[in-house]
Amino acid sequence: MAKNTLSSRFRKLDIDEFDENKFVDDHDEAVDNQGPDGAEIDNLIRQGDMMTAFHIALRNPPVNTKNPAIKERALAIVLRVLTSFKSSDIEPAVKSLDRSGVDLLMKYIYRGFEKPSDNSSAILLQWHEKAFAVGGLGSIVRVLTARKTV
Amino acid sequence: VKRGRGIWRSVWEIFPLSSSNFAFSSLSPSDSDSAPVPQRRACHAAGRSLSGELLLSGGGAPQQARGGGPVSPCVSVCVRDSVCFRVFDHVNAIPFRSSKELLLQPVIISRNDKEKVLIEGSINSVRVSIAVKQADEIEKILCHKFMRFMMMRAENFFILRRKPVEGYDISFLITNFHTEQMYKHKLVDFVIHFMEEIDKEISEMKLSVNARARIVAEEFLKNF
Repeated sequence: MAKNTLSSRFRKLDIDEFDENKFVDDHDEAVDNQGPDGAEIDNLIRQGDMMTAFHIALRNPPVNTKNPAIKERALAIVLRVLTSFKSSDIEPAVKSLDRSGVDLLMKYIYRGFEKPSDNSSAILLQWHEKAFAVGGLGSIVRVLTARKTV
Repeated sequence: VKRGRGIWRSVWEIFPLSSSNFAFSSLSPSDSDSAPVPQRRACHAAGRSLSGELLLSGGGAPQQARGGGPVSPCVSVCVRDSVCFRVFDHVNAIPFRSSKELLLQPVIISRNDKEKVLIEGSINSVRVSIAVKQADEIEKILCHKFMRFMMMRAENFFILRRKPVEGYDISFLITNFHTEQMYKHKLVDFVIHFMEEIDKEISEMKLSVNARARIVAEEFLKNF
């Protein structure tokens, strides 16, 4: 306890919070992407238009929100699109993406690996192979070092 | 009876022949694995000390390629990426998780819901945890015993952790010190090789257990 005030309240203080050199993530509150639209994607999948569904699913990624529910929802939608692709269609789909699209796809693929279900891992491995062929080692490193996860 | 010989042999190959070799090669996509295929040697491994096995030189049946599916390239690329680190801080970042800016995103690669690999990286180390497929009771017991055997000798293994991460069967912790003393590409090859071999080892052990049980039962029942 402190000599002058005889109080131990200072022990409950976390001084690391006040460290000037402490690293704080940049909080980007400005742009809050809500993730792709589920109903729209469902329609497109039912119609069999996989490419459009794929592109829409990769739009508006919820990278800036801290809300896990939004991220889960977006992830579920993207995974549904990815698993309903046929193996032969994967390559053209990946080729149609630009560099940041491939990085985003890689992020979703690795997130998809975290919850393996039925045959999702097999399809995801194929996606990973094709995306790696296009994106190279750089895309994987960018997934590992990304501060804003999808 | 072969008991995990392939894995010990490849551990020996990680150490460079001359101590003046510091392998800090930067990442390049043309990094091909031309590592010599570790060779198996049929011998009774049970009861041998680890140092004894490491000193044995190879000879014997060549390695059979395993149709492990596309998981191996996936993991090897990931491990190779995360093994690219240098001395920065002497405190291992991963177990302590003290500073956010020193840690990379943890990444899981799964083949199905029973087999997966967790890769957690930081600026000076990487932790690779493997969940091995265990289809039935006997495989569970064999896997558990095999992993325990290796983890008890983790000091000699260097890169092995004494306890696996929660939810996985075995964990490797590779730090900057290890990459200074050992070839990085060999470390990566070793981890991949380990993953591919472990399933084979366990199936072989299961077969030999069943075979021995059958022989013993036969002999015993001959008396009646």
